[in-house]
Amino acid sequence: MTAKRALENIRIVDFSWVRAGPWATRWLGALGAEVIKIEWPESERGRLPSSTTPQGLPVNLNTSGNFNDTNVNKKSLTLNVRSAKGLDIVKRLIAKSDVVIENFSSRVLRNWGLGYEAMCEIKPDIVYVSMSGYGHTGRNHAYTTFGPVAQAAAGLTFQSGLPNEAPAGWGWSYMDDTGGMYGAMCVLTGLYHRNMTGKGQHIDQSQMVSSAPLNGPALLDFTVNKRGSRRQGFPPGNRAHWPGTPLLNNYRGPTVAPHNAYRTAPGGYNDWCTIVCHSDTEWQALERLIGGTPDPRFATVAGRLAHQDDLDTMIEAWTSTLDKYEVMTQCQAAGVRAMPVQSAEDRVDNDPQLRHRGMYRPLEHPALGTFKVQNAPFVLSETPAVNTLPSPMIGQHTREILEGLLGFDAAEVRAGFADGTFWPPTRPLFPYQEEMLR
Amino acid sequence: MTGPFAGLRVLELADEKGQFCGKLLGDLGADVVKIEPPGGEACREVGPFLDDVPHRDRSLSFWYYNTSKRGITLNLETADGRALFRRLADEADVVLETFRPGYLAGIGLGYETLRASNPALIVCSLTPFGQTGPWRDFVSSDLVHMAAGGEMASSGYDHTDIPIAPGGGNAWHMGGHYAAMAIMAALVYRSVSGEGQYIDTSIHEACALTTESAIANYVYRGEILRRQTGRHHAMTTTARTQFLAKDGNYVTALISGGLNPRNVKSLADLMDVYGMAGDLRDPKYQDPATIAAESSHIIDGLLADFIASLPAEEVYHAAQARGFTWGAVRAPEDLLDDAHLHDRGFWKEVEHPELGCSFVYPGEPALYNGSPWAISRRAPLVGEHNREIYCDELGLDAGELVILAENGVV
Repeated sequence: MTAKRALENIRIVDFSWVRAGPWATRWLGALGAEVIKIEWPESERGRLPSSTTPQGLPVNLNTSGNFNDTNVNKKSLTLNVRSAKGLDIVKRLIAKSDVVIENFSSRVLRNWGLGYEAMCEIKPDIVYVSMSGYGHTGRNHAYTTFGPVAQAAAGLTFQSGLPNEAPAGWGWSYMDDTGGMYGAMCVLTGLYHRNMTGKGQHIDQSQMVSSAPLNGPALLDFTVNKRGSRRQGFPPGNRAHWPGTPLLNNYRGPTVAPHNAYRTAPGGYNDWCTIVCHSDTEWQALERLIGGTPDPRFATVAGRLAHQDDLDTMIEAWTSTLDKYEVMTQCQAAGVRAMPVQSAEDRVDNDPQLRHRGMYRPLEHPALGTFKVQNAPFVLSETPAVNTLPSPMIGQHTREILEGLLGFDAAEVRAGFADGTFWPPTRPLFPYQEEMLR
Repeated sequence: MTGPFAGLRVLELADEKGQFCGKLLGDLGADVVKIEPPGGEACREVGPFLDDVPHRDRSLSFWYYNTSKRGITLNLETADGRALFRRLADEADVVLETFRPGYLAGIGLGYETLRASNPALIVCSLTPFGQTGPWRDFVSSDLVHMAAGGEMASSGYDHTDIPIAPGGGNAWHMGGHYAAMAIMAALVYRSVSGEGQYIDTSIHEACALTTESAIANYVYRGEILRRQTGRHHAMTTTARTQFLAKDGNYVTALISGGLNPRNVKSLADLMDVYGMAGDLRDPKYQDPATIAAESSHIIDGLLADFIASLPAEEVYHAAQARGFTWGAVRAPEDLLDDAHLHDRGFWKEVEHPELGCSFVYPGEPALYNGSPWAISRRAPLVGEHNREIYCDELGLDAGELVILAENGVV
């Protein structure tokens, strides 16, 4: 028996590209929606450039590993939306869909004649989610972002690093991942509201603006206590507090020590284990693991914070003799919060928990071969989120969608390829497209 | 107009792991009832505090993460407490809980029990490692999640191997976002089918999913990426993107796709406005090979000097106005001066009637034109809504509530 799906019978017209938008629709697809990705090979961003094509495969529109992982559970329709015929097909698709989602800059769809009001004329209860850098309103709506720029402009970058150094920031586009989460949540709330009231709406999500609420306690410390983050000892690296600076909460939980990353054997690039003690009891358990005579300076949290450098030296003398997983195992058996710094290799191949939970499961892709794909971090008991399709090869489902959904006949499909509506006439077809047109 | 979840009742049994998820639902219109142990939840002890005076009703962290919720106290360790919870759960749409795996089932409040009398109920467990597996009983914190999830392996500096966990409690945000998404999906399904379900969400998995291409680089190419100061992880050291401005703040200045004749010309146009283009207008820079050979001169010399000559905000706006995707690296408090956020009505005045004043809170991630996001009330005081919910809504009389309080139930 096929499992039920949360978004059964929901159809999504997906203009999104690069990362944040596709990361949103990836999950909507895993939840059971039919996601129709509208693409054009001449203005593609996401499939190329690719730095994740497996060694030995040609770099082309269908061989980016990161694109594959980001675009599972979707179908691809190639369509020249900048032609009158293409735009008419877009409108016919919207008429048969529940959701339109895009992450263009703020005026693109409106300039096509596809603003929210125009969409409502085609489909009155449409849920339209726009995911732009700065949103569709506000004086800087035309500004553009990448994850790192949204993170910088909204205060997230500043909160990462060692005191008296440049910000370490985030080593990836956190706000592409997280912007994708908000995009997906906007679609789901819009659908829920539509199902309950019969009304659609436009939801204007912004990557930069979505970043700002992630600084909540720091922002309230300023708006309420007039205390800013430009201060001595902030940000305190991996610690809850930097020794020798005023004792202030640093917005990631209780102010405690130990609270750091420690070197582990054999001292490789990612051989570190984090340890955090939230109470005297947890500290005493760690102290017993380390052995030796208890240092009275460390008996209280005030003492541990005041002598944090010596505390960390003492802990690291112990951790540096052990493998990071051994530190974790010993600490966790004693009820001490400790986890290793895990690289991608560690997560995919060495993490027994992620293995048990089936986090990375192989999926076959026609051009790439079989590779592990990331799964949902939740189990829905009645409507599981599962990866049912690999990412589409570009235009893979063009004929299927045109004929099955829009009622084209084979001759009309061929005519659209000939006149440049479904593929640039001068660009060679992939073999699967030749096959599709036969 | 009201939020998209208007009319939904959510029971939140959550600590630092789940309070953000409850806020996401409450600010979107759900009636979130936070159920705390008598005396209040431990997150009330996390600073900073109003005027640095520690008190369970003065934690700014608690204030932020518990907007749009009502609060009651209830001792689930008592039979009376459990009976009251059953009555609340029978009328609820969603239960969000962050207890250690098996705890609720162990006290007779597991999903199967609750479902028996409320089949449409959605129960979401949000725990460090999920309900199953060898690590399910491990204990965690924000920092240790950022280690195990891979955030630290990707963040740090060029000049040292120390991995850095970005601050702000984002492991809880990652778990909260995914749990909220799962609950929302279950709600959409329920709106069609009438059926509830159980959701088992793992914060560890949510964090492990939130490092962009790190997993793909390993899965498809066997590559382990290295940390780089203020920019993307990469196989080898990449060109810097973070530059110190005249006012001591930094600017993130990305050259998308690397330097080429077209963007070098645009860069010269931008820098020329301030007389800082140097030799960038030299026709030799229309040759990609020359650009490649001179990239250090362009980035570490001319571009760095240009940014060092101006305040970070001015570089940010001047560059964006000319199509460069750059940003000033702002401290959180700088956002209060951001005109764009003001244009979008981002900042919200939230009344604190017990203090006789209001404070400014950050607002919505997205503008809904049909069902707006809103902070419906400030975070609850300890047990603030006991009478309202137990007496006015569940129908207990005042005497019964007193007896429950005397017996440590509420």
